[in-house]
Amino acid sequence: MLKPIKKPVVKREYTFLERIYLWEIVKGLKLTWKHFTFNVRASFRPGPHTVPTCWQYPEDRRPIAPIFRGAHYLALDEKGRELCIGCGMCARACPAHCIKVKRGKPPEGQEEKYAGKTICESFEIDMLRCIVCGFCEEACAKGALYLGPDYELAEYEKGPCIYDKERLLANFRKARAEGKLKPKRKPVPVAAPEKKPVGKKAVSPEGKASGSQKEK
Amino acid sequence: MEDLGITVIKVVFIWTWVLLIATLMTWVERRGSAMMQDRLGPNRAGPFGLLQPVADGIKLFTKEDIVPEKAQKILFSLGPVLFALPAFSAYAVVPFGDKLVLDGKEIILQVADVNIGFLYIVALGGLAVYGMVVGGWGSNNKYSILGGLRSTAQLISYEVPFGIVLLAVVMVFGTFSLREISLAQQGTFLGFLPNWGVFKQPLGFILFMTAAYAEANRVPFDLPEAESEIVAGYHTEYGSMRLGLYLFGEYVNLYTLAALTVTLFFGAWHLPYLDMSHFLGPISYGIASFLVFFLKTAFFLWLFVWIRWTVPRFRYDQVMGLGWKALIPLSLVNLFVTALIIQLTV
Repeated sequence: MLKPIKKPVVKREYTFLERIYLWEIVKGLKLTWKHFTFNVRASFRPGPHTVPTCWQYPEDRRPIAPIFRGAHYLALDEKGRELCIGCGMCARACPAHCIKVKRGKPPEGQEEKYAGKTICESFEIDMLRCIVCGFCEEACAKGALYLGPDYELAEYEKGPCIYDKERLLANFRKARAEGKLKPKRKPVPVAAPEKKPVGKKAVSPEGKASGSQKEK
Repeated sequence: MEDLGITVIKVVFIWTWVLLIATLMTWVERRGSAMMQDRLGPNRAGPFGLLQPVADGIKLFTKEDIVPEKAQKILFSLGPVLFALPAFSAYAVVPFGDKLVLDGKEIILQVADVNIGFLYIVALGGLAVYGMVVGGWGSNNKYSILGGLRSTAQLISYEVPFGIVLLAVVMVFGTFSLREISLAQQGTFLGFLPNWGVFKQPLGFILFMTAAYAEANRVPFDLPEAESEIVAGYHTEYGSMRLGLYLFGEYVNLYTLAALTVTLFFGAWHLPYLDMSHFLGPISYGIASFLVFFLKTAFFLWLFVWIRWTVPRFRYDQVMGLGWKALIPLSLVNLFVTALIIQLTV
C-alpha cells in the first residue's frame, strides 16, 4: 500500500533575491513559457490528439474498454437467430424499472429465426430512465442483452429515447459491423442456495427464480 | 500645422487599429492562457479560433441589458462610459511611428504632438478611476462597491510612483513631448548600449512596469476585480455591452500602457545600432517604423498575458504596502540619483 508522505515543513528565511521577487518572477516566466511552447508545438503537430491533456472530442475519441457499458443491444447468435427468450429477468433486475419485455411464441413457420422456444414479442428500454448499471446484462441467462460501445445517446425528442426491439437489434448490427461486439460474459458464479428442509410457504419467489435458473 | 483631413485620417486609423488589436488581445489572452495551462482554448470559431472575438461581440450585443432594480440608473449607465472614454482618448498623444513623407508633405505618425503628453496621460489615467468607482457605487452591490473602493485606493497609491518615475524620465530626456523623447532615443549610449530609456533608467523601468500593471488592474494587482474574493469587483452587476465596454476599455488601456512603455523605455520605433531612415525610402520608412513600434508594443501586450499566468495575486495589504513602502521611496531615490547624475555630468 501507499505510504503516507512524511515531509517535514522546513521554514526558512527568504534570501535577498527571493525577497526582491523580481528574479522569482523571471523564473516563473520561464516555467510558463516552457508550458506554452510545448503546447503550441504540440497543437501544430499533424494528427489527432497531439496535445497530451486535450481530447478534441468529435475528432479524437478516447479508446473505450471492451466491457464499456453504453447503449444496449440485443444479440443474435452465429446463425443469425435471436437469442432473447423474453424471460424478463432483465426487467426484474433493473433497479430503474426501465425495461419492459413481453414474452410470446415464435410466429408459425419462423421458428428457425429464434434460438429459444419462446421469444420476446416486444422489448422496450426507456433510455431516459436507464442508469446504465449493467444489471440487466448480468441477469440475462441467454447472453442476449448487452450494453454496447455506443455512448452518444442524445436525441432531439423524447420518443427516440425509448428503444424498441428494432432499435436494439440495429444497435447490435452496428456494433457487429464496427467489430465492437462485447466479449461473451463469463457466467457469474452463483452460490448454491442453502438446502434446508423448509416448508413450502417459506420459499421466497426469488429463491424459486434462482433455483430455476440453476436448473437451466 | 497639418491640415484637418490628415489629422482625421490619422485619428480614424489609430482608433480602428487600437480597437482591432484590443479585440485580438481577447483572443490572445484566452488562447495564450490556455496554452500555458495545458489547455487548448477556443479553437473552433474560424481558423485557430480567430473569430472568437466576433462571436463574443455578437453575444455581448444580443444579451439583455439588465439594470438592477435598486441601482442608481444614471450612475450605472455612466460607469462604463467614464471608464472607456479616457481609455480610448489616452492614445492620442502616444506616437505609433516616426513619419511618412507623401508628396513632399511630412506626416507625423502621432495624432497630436502636444508638449504636455505626459501630463495628459497621467491625467487620463487618474480619470479612469471614476469609471470604476461610479460603476461600483451605482450598482448597489457590496462586491461592486468593494471593487470600486479598492480600485480607487490602488490607483491613487500607484499614480504617485508612476508620476515620479515619469518625472525622472522627463529629466533624462529634457522634454514632455513623447515624440521628442522617441526621437532622442536614437544612436548609442556609453558607446555600446542602444540609447534607450531602459538603459538610462533601469530602476525606473521596473518601477514603471509595476505601477503600470497596477494602473491597468492586471494580475498580480487585479484586486478591484479579484474573482476569488469579490466576484468580479466593480463590474459584478454589469452585463451585455456595458460589460463589453469595461472589458474593452481595459484592453485599450493595456495597449496604451504597452505603447507608452515602448515609447519611454524601448526606443520607440528605433532598432538598436541601426538607423532605418538611411536605407529605406520615405514611405517604406514610415511603414517600417510603424511596424517596429507595433512589434515592440505587441511584446509588452504579450507580457501582460504572460505575467498574468505566472504571478499569483497579492493580498490587498501587500499591494498597499508595496505601493507606499517600496515603490514611492524607490522612485524618489531614482529621481534623486537621476538628478544627481544629470547635475554632475551636464
